[in-house]
Amino acid sequence: MTPEQWLQDRTYHHSNFWNLRWLVEEKQRQGLTISLCLPTLNEAKTVGKEIILLKSELYDRYPLIDEIAVIDSGSTDGTREIAASFGADVYLAEDCLPELGNRRGKGENLWKALYLLKGDIIVYVDSDINNIHPRFVYGLIGPLIKEPEVQYVKAFYDRPLAFSQGIRPTGGGRVTEILVRPLFSLFYPELTPIIQPLSGEYAGRRSILEQIPFPVGYGVETAMLIDIYEKHGLAAFAQTDLDTRVHRNQETVALGRMAFGILRAFFNRLTARERAQFPYELADIMRQPKVDQGKFEQAEYKIEEFERPPMVEIAAYLEKFHQSVQAESE
Amino acid sequence: MSEIADVPMLTAEIPDALAPLREEILAELVLLSQIPSPTGEEIRRVEHILNRFVEAGVPEAGQDEKGNAAGFLPGRVGDRTIMLVAHLDTIVPSNIDHNVEVTADRLIGPGISDNATGATVISMLPNCLDHLGLKFDSNISLLGTVNSLDRSHDSGLRFHLENMVHPVDAGICIEGVQLGRLNYFSIGTLRGRIDCDVRLEGNYQSRSYGSQSAVAVLNHIMNRILAIEVPQRPFTHISINRVRAGVSYDVEPDHAELGFEVNSHDDARIDRIETQIQEIVAEVAARNAVDAKLDSFFRRRAGGIGFSHPLVKSTIEVMEALGISPDQGHSPSELSEFIARGIPAVTLGITTGEKNRKKPDHVNIEPILRGVAQIVGVLLAIDRGITEEPA
Repeated sequence: MTPEQWLQDRTYHHSNFWNLRWLVEEKQRQGLTISLCLPTLNEAKTVGKEIILLKSELYDRYPLIDEIAVIDSGSTDGTREIAASFGADVYLAEDCLPELGNRRGKGENLWKALYLLKGDIIVYVDSDINNIHPRFVYGLIGPLIKEPEVQYVKAFYDRPLAFSQGIRPTGGGRVTEILVRPLFSLFYPELTPIIQPLSGEYAGRRSILEQIPFPVGYGVETAMLIDIYEKHGLAAFAQTDLDTRVHRNQETVALGRMAFGILRAFFNRLTARERAQFPYELADIMRQPKVDQGKFEQAEYKIEEFERPPMVEIAAYLEKFHQSVQAESE
Repeated sequence: MSEIADVPMLTAEIPDALAPLREEILAELVLLSQIPSPTGEEIRRVEHILNRFVEAGVPEAGQDEKGNAAGFLPGRVGDRTIMLVAHLDTIVPSNIDHNVEVTADRLIGPGISDNATGATVISMLPNCLDHLGLKFDSNISLLGTVNSLDRSHDSGLRFHLENMVHPVDAGICIEGVQLGRLNYFSIGTLRGRIDCDVRLEGNYQSRSYGSQSAVAVLNHIMNRILAIEVPQRPFTHISINRVRAGVSYDVEPDHAELGFEVNSHDDARIDRIETQIQEIVAEVAARNAVDAKLDSFFRRRAGGIGFSHPLVKSTIEVMEALGISPDQGHSPSELSEFIARGIPAVTLGITTGEKNRKKPDHVNIEPILRGVAQIVGVLLAIDRGITEEPA
């Protein structure tokens, strides 16, 4: 499948999957279970609405998802209490697999979701979306149910505010266009048709997610794409247009730190595959100048991009999900 | 839920029985609130509700000619029809951000209390009744109305009531706030607008000599209206609520307009005040060489059912069974359309919360199930005939 073919054949719009009754029937026919994971850190303002809407529409009315779980990094604003009050299963990330230590970061929560949740398909949706709608979930599940070959579905958001006709550019945010797409163009050109590689909403089959490492920080989305691509090729991917996503806008300096983390995860992969080499170890300190009452200083941020190994290498996970395989091998 | 004779006792059990639907009700409230629905642009809310009716298996669901969202649940006997109404339009313009915020104890968003909450009850009632396993002898007519606010003055509901196949025997008007609200009579109301235009003369359309600014003339009219003597009993009140004029600090306006409302329990008193205003407008216009005219565009007659009406009494019993303190008063809602047609009706609120003009409304989550249970309880009471006046 060429990138051009892929872009035509595997790019969906959420409205392709509006028929929830069909999705539920087909999911049941295929014998699939689906889990929804909302990673959180201080999202009290938005998490309640996400749970209410997604649970009501996709769990109670149309049983497309089998569980809704919040995996929290230690919120102090009542996120966990609100989530529980509206019926989500709530987990504190540090309580999960404590023998493996605790790392802070969204990727840590996504990784632990594989252990905590039971679904054959895991849907990850950020918990800071103001205009949450069931399409954010069924739009991602749809391609996985429709096309057995698809292993992983990425969201993108493409609704121009004002446009008349003809060709117009479409794409991701600032970090995508300034950093990730140039990097993909240089090293993984087949991944460039993925319109928003950094979007926080995606769904994948457990069978592939358990096989890949998870950076715990900013690099998790980029790393997932590269690792799945290297194992399964472009044909394993699909992407769905979910229209508009309204969320907090990040300051440019915060995006700089995000870019730093992504670069670390990216270079880790290039060096591991011997596609690039550095004669020294890469720094894990990001420096950003600031001025305080006329005095210029450099703020330092430690961004280490620790990576969790593939979940399938964790004994407790194997025991929970692959007991029969283990028993056979013994 | 088993069918027992004691409606209040049965009603008291409903909030707990509805608990499994809590998230669905809240989700519906969020979804409906987030659909902009200013008067005349309610179509997306109408479609949403009709989709819900279809999903819930409501046998007859569709738009009427005026665009109201109508659902009809035929009763086992079907000799009577109870209508539940909530207006779907809001005063919030489409370009306002309609996103709803959900906190642990409240939902916050523009127009959420007035009247997305009422619309949610209309939308969710088929699911609630199905979940409770309740069957009714009476037909239940569910109506989400369009064109209720501003100068539309309930034209959607009026059309539906005037053209219904099944005559309505009782009505329940549903408003978002406040829980405990119990309205069964409507105060007489007159709404009018006065337009004041300075006469312009000649090719250059300049003002005639001696004419004043339209604002100054309107001010005379306003002072004269406010000087009209009104009695304390029957309660009568004149309020000037809207004034619009002017384009710039350095240009005297040629046009000014004023919106007012007169309320009274005595329709004759309102008629007299209208005549007085008419005279004031004519006189001030003549004295100041301006064109001024009064447009009385909305009139609602005073009336309603009495406190001793069985519908009121059984509604109070239902409220008390749910621990709701009734707050009785007159209603500016659709109630008057029922009253004008001799149909006994009440207006009820669903939850506590706030209606705001300059910031988003909010509704509290905790009372909502009791508010819905109250509607079901009153439906049961009407269905069992205990709200009918003895012949």
